[in-house]
Amino acid sequence: MNHLKLPYWIMALVTGVYLFLHLPIIALIAFSFNDSKFSTEWTGFTLHWYERLLERQDILDGLKSSIIVGLSATVISTVLGTLMALALARHVFRGRRLVEAFLYVPIVTPEIVVGISLLILFVAMGVPLGLHSVVIAHVAFNVSFVVVVVLARLQGMDRNLEEAAMILGADELTTFWRITVPQLWPGIISGAMLAFTMSFDDYVITSFVTGTGSSTLPVVVYTMVRKNIEPSINAISTVVLVATTVLVIVAERLGRDKPLVADKD
Amino acid sequence: MSNEKQLRNAFLDYATGRMGRRDFIRGALAMGASVTAVATMLQACGDSAPPPAAETPPPPPGPMPATAPAAPPEPELGEKEGELHIYNWSDYIAEDTVANFEKESGIKVVYDTYESNEEMVAKLQVGAGGYDIVVPTGYIVTVLAAMDLLQPLSKGRYIPNWGNVAGLFKDPVFDKGNLFGVPWQWGTTGIAWRKDKVPTPPDSWGVFLDPALKNKMTMMDDMRDVIGAWLRYRGKSLNSTVDAELQAAKADAIAAKGNLKAFISAPVKGQLVSGDVWIAQLWNGDTMQAKAEQAEIEYLVPKEGSTIWTDSLVIPKSAPHKRAAHEFMNYILRPEVAASISNFTGYGTPVEPAMAMLAQPVPYPSGEELSRLEYQGDLARATELWDQIWTEIKAS
Amino acid sequence: MSDPQAPVKLRQRILNWFHHHPQAKAWSLVLPGGLWLLVFFLAPVLVMFSYSLKERGIYGGVEDGFTVEHYLRFMDRLYLKILWRTVVDATVCTAICLLLGYPTAYVITRGGRLKGLLLFLVILPFWTSFLVRTFAMIFLMRDTGFINTLLLKLGLVTEPIVMLYTPFAVMTGLVYGFLPFMVLPIYSSLEKLDHSLLEAAEVLGARSTRRFLRVTLPLSMPGVVAGCLLVFIPALGSFLTSDLLGGAKEILVGNVVQAQFTSARNWPFGSAASFVLMALVLGAVMIYLRVRDGAEQPAER
Repeated sequence: MNHLKLPYWIMALVTGVYLFLHLPIIALIAFSFNDSKFSTEWTGFTLHWYERLLERQDILDGLKSSIIVGLSATVISTVLGTLMALALARHVFRGRRLVEAFLYVPIVTPEIVVGISLLILFVAMGVPLGLHSVVIAHVAFNVSFVVVVVLARLQGMDRNLEEAAMILGADELTTFWRITVPQLWPGIISGAMLAFTMSFDDYVITSFVTGTGSSTLPVVVYTMVRKNIEPSINAISTVVLVATTVLVIVAERLGRDKPLVADKD
Repeated sequence: MSNEKQLRNAFLDYATGRMGRRDFIRGALAMGASVTAVATMLQACGDSAPPPAAETPPPPPGPMPATAPAAPPEPELGEKEGELHIYNWSDYIAEDTVANFEKESGIKVVYDTYESNEEMVAKLQVGAGGYDIVVPTGYIVTVLAAMDLLQPLSKGRYIPNWGNVAGLFKDPVFDKGNLFGVPWQWGTTGIAWRKDKVPTPPDSWGVFLDPALKNKMTMMDDMRDVIGAWLRYRGKSLNSTVDAELQAAKADAIAAKGNLKAFISAPVKGQLVSGDVWIAQLWNGDTMQAKAEQAEIEYLVPKEGSTIWTDSLVIPKSAPHKRAAHEFMNYILRPEVAASISNFTGYGTPVEPAMAMLAQPVPYPSGEELSRLEYQGDLARATELWDQIWTEIKAS
Repeated sequence: MSDPQAPVKLRQRILNWFHHHPQAKAWSLVLPGGLWLLVFFLAPVLVMFSYSLKERGIYGGVEDGFTVEHYLRFMDRLYLKILWRTVVDATVCTAICLLLGYPTAYVITRGGRLKGLLLFLVILPFWTSFLVRTFAMIFLMRDTGFINTLLLKLGLVTEPIVMLYTPFAVMTGLVYGFLPFMVLPIYSSLEKLDHSLLEAAEVLGARSTRRFLRVTLPLSMPGVVAGCLLVFIPALGSFLTSDLLGGAKEILVGNVVQAQFTSARNWPFGSAASFVLMALVLGAVMIYLRVRDGAEQPAER
């Protein structure tokens, strides 16, 4: 399948893009080993910031909250978003265009407006602030992104396979699980990745809807700005990067027959 | 309901100098406010009095003439609770303070941090409860008090260590009679500079107008600090609400903006250390943290004057553990505890006996210095004008 | 209960019912997500809309009353200039993201065994903290930073190039932050491309440029459009990048809104500014959907 050669300038451009994306990350990792409080100059190698992590319960708690919130919000918003995308792509129903247009509103609404308005809502409804209120908020701003990404894949997706399955006697649900979902998989994975990323990195909205003792990692980091962002944050970021990379590579290895991203060509 | 709103409007008019004190008291009582409520409001807005006339220097902070009426009776709070929720700025407490307090008092502390006053105010304002202690800066205490969100302290009953507080921090303009707040840390805003790069001390805000230092200077990313500095430059109060004075400050700020590398607050420290920035508007405590890494960094308060600020511990009205909150306030006023906190934060301690125990004491301003320092007061209605001017500076 | 066929029958009956009631089927797909958005997004946002028509509370929040003054205030030259600047920035950012993102997505789909890893590497940088990431960029772009030190050592320049706190730095930061929002949708629509089509085109002698323009690009258009929307729209509301990398010397609509809810304590004006932005986007999207639905028949039935 790869016999269609790519021009070298495309390869050069894309290599540049990857370099652009990862250069700051390399600097970030380097500073997690730097013996200076401010990430300015290289003053010597140290593991101090990793040792510090063990003392910084707030950072570890923040990471735990972030993972819980990120995973829950991703699963919920991916399921809800995929279903909505299916409805929008496959069905003509009254109000369809309005629903679709409305989906873009959460994407444009300034985060602080979402944050404050949700805070007002939760207080009015008597919902105590905590991890669950953060998850609810994250799902609310993630769903739209998932819908848009999944929709992009659904539009014009080949429906011959599905129809063939139906003709061969599979019912709609079976066809959905065996044909539609695998075909849709790259879109679902892309949507889920975006959702997790936004959830894991959100500060503004989270800061308004979080309660006592449920700060996520970004909230912990932002509150450090007034004083100094300790390189322990670089250290925890490095740990997260290494851990997820290892996880993904292992998953790839184990699932060679069923790669992370459906490979059907 | 409408009475309440009327009352608030009257209060605002009084706070911004549109209504006299007597008229306000008479009106407020007529609208059904209790005597203590009126007294509270009068004290709360002490700082929002009209700005001083251009020629007279702004009033020094610290003890004010005894305008505060007798404090209302202190509420009794019953048994000490087993839990305490503190909501503070990050890295603004010694690492063992909470643990030591827990061990000694048997109270379990949930400690949380926030990034800006506004975020904290918004939460309290819409009624999000659960916080027992928050740490507003200066005039934010006035704001919270005016919105009736604060619990009056029972200092006499539960805070025997109150006597340790230095006179300078008792009865501040933003919290007359210390009805609501216990001072936590204090500091000033001034100029941090690299003495190896800039030979003469930049002792005037006018240094930011010097094109020779173009691209080597920064001011803070905060409208109160930037516009305030340019008001002081022209000899005006940094709480001015006079349009002409503010327009002059705007013109200076825009002229300076061309020389500035950036508007940046605390994160400028790294670039002072690296030498990208030579002169920066900054807080004294942050300058000290940067100096620990780069000895060439110095700090001064410009001759035209600047801001002195105090962060206070206050108890929201909605706090579930008020008695435990008092316990904590009393605890941190112990000299050795206060000293360990200030040793960690690098800021000054308002607890006088703690001064001798500091590794790097931040001395209280002398009379001469004090005359150049001014507390920020709430701008009330004029906030909109300030914001408009700040937007114009940014968009210029 | 005793009939083993019962669940199957039930399932069949449900499926049949939905088959004959397509409207109900569509709505049952929309409703879970729709309700969530209705309760946790639309309802609070409508409350904010009502705030934009109220009087400003002196300490934040709002006071009773009805006024359109906040919308009128936004129509001032000062704010329209800021709005225009924001739209220009977002447009440029979207264009750059597209130019960089499309080839990246294309290469990923052709990555064979490395596909999963390549895709993962696009998103990985974003699982660090935004602030630390941005500070790392500041370190790279500073006068005494990594890039300038390198250039000076190599003798390529004699004076450090001022990059940080310039519009260039802001744009770099925006493109960095939004690039995955372009790559992922394009990837997901390219991924479905039927490569046999391309091979057929090749066999028939179509040159690669032509093949791309006539086959690949049109088939990936939904992804391109989705990517552009996902970059352009949030870029309109961005505010932190211009503060941190632009040295807060430039102001975008996002900064105006942010300030109204914080230092300016003018919630109604902040809401009004947001709703102007939201109305513009909603209007543009409605026009786009109308054009799209007019151009191609709705997917099916």
